[in-house]
Amino acid sequence: MARDRSQREDYATPLRRLLIGVLCLCLFAFFIVWRIDNPRVERFRAKVVDHVVPNMDWVMAPVTGSINLLRDFQSYQRLSEQNQELRSELRQMRAWKEAALQLEQENARLLDLNNVRLDPRLTYITGVVMADSGSPFRQSVLLNIGYRDGLQDGWAAMDGIGLVGRISGTGKTSARVILLTDPASAIPVIIQPSGQSALVSGDNTISPALNFLENADLVRPGDRVVTSGDGSVFPAGLLVGQVAQDRTGRLRVRLSADYERLEFLRVLRHHGTEVILDSGGLIVPDPGTPTPRERPEDLDTSSEDQPSNG
Amino acid sequence: MASTPQTRIWLMRLMFPALSFAILFAHLLPLDTLPRGWAPPDLILGLALAWSLRRPDYLPTLSIFFTMLMADLLLYRPPGLMTMLTILGCEFLKTRVLPHRETAFVSEWFSVALVITAITVLNRTILNVTNTGQAPLTLSMIQMIMTIGIYPLLVLFCQSVLRVRKLSPSEADAVRGR
Repeated sequence: MARDRSQREDYATPLRRLLIGVLCLCLFAFFIVWRIDNPRVERFRAKVVDHVVPNMDWVMAPVTGSINLLRDFQSYQRLSEQNQELRSELRQMRAWKEAALQLEQENARLLDLNNVRLDPRLTYITGVVMADSGSPFRQSVLLNIGYRDGLQDGWAAMDGIGLVGRISGTGKTSARVILLTDPASAIPVIIQPSGQSALVSGDNTISPALNFLENADLVRPGDRVVTSGDGSVFPAGLLVGQVAQDRTGRLRVRLSADYERLEFLRVLRHHGTEVILDSGGLIVPDPGTPTPRERPEDLDTSSEDQPSNG
Repeated sequence: MASTPQTRIWLMRLMFPALSFAILFAHLLPLDTLPRGWAPPDLILGLALAWSLRRPDYLPTLSIFFTMLMADLLLYRPPGLMTMLTILGCEFLKTRVLPHRETAFVSEWFSVALVITAITVLNRTILNVTNTGQAPLTLSMIQMIMTIGIYPLLVLFCQSVLRVRKLSPSEADAVRGR
């Protein structure tokens, strides 16, 4: 009996070591493959997430809902204070609303005058936030829409007002949105009114940093930051936020989107910015038309110097 | 009599993935979309270490493998790296189960703290070597210290609620002789 046992141990220990060695080797190989061929492994990850997270949705939604309810309940404690605040804000809002209405009318008039057609292809799909990244090191959320709904990597996700992030990784019924605050996020922007272009790169703080500014003197806190559409990843002109300066004097962006509660996100359909590839061909007349053209007979002398509309 | 410990072992083997899944679920709830200035402890890692010091037979390597790989994929970490480090750490502790049987909790805590530190340092080193973007150092440090700090509570939870205890020598022989 005792011999049996020791023999078993003798076989078992090297086998276990072998198994652990092989497992670790596989895992390390997996990590290296992820590092080298990132898109394929990320697609695999998106598939796994797509299988797992939507199945948890039926219990996630009520839990999230009730926790949010509790949090709201806590805020009842300072209800009267809040009420006062809301009243004064409402008064300010009324004034702003007047101004906005006037501006809207003016804007409509000007658009009409200029015969502007706003981009008709910029439509959107709205998705519900299912889960967040779950780790303090990454900032992303999962939406409940995926490639079944036509989502593609790189599209912009907004809440009602400002840019929130970019789609990165789509499953059949889920898609990951990398938030602007994620360290891996970098978005080309333009700062109005000075027209300086810069890069908004996240660094795990609530207000991402402004990098690669050409001339920081032209930029003031409070300037509007909108996407520039450079690199044809994003449609141009989406509102990102306002310039702000932190304590060390570094320029950052105060995001317009409400990051405290991301619930519904709209994903803008974007089919790439059109690029002019050639330098323009030579414009030649149709074959068969004689050059120089014959002079029309019925022209009188007054319209001689006008170009003929042939 | 013979089947009861066996069923319990299998029950506890299922318990670890189930607990980890619950922890993952809590992490994934979309409550905090703001970036935080602190990091919560890595409960799954602490649980795995505590179990492998107490009842290695409840925690087969394959179970750690699948659970941690799932966590890597779901939590958007570099896949495989943390799994590998956790397996290595747990195996290191499993080989030290025998000498630990008589020692006090403080020395156990110390060795666990060493393992957690080693895992964090190795993780950051490998990420640095492969030039992968990673979280700020302070966040990793906070997470490491929180994990070490919460370890006694995890052990208390394991011992009192889940009844994952170290075996007495006679029980150990019984398990071994199966």
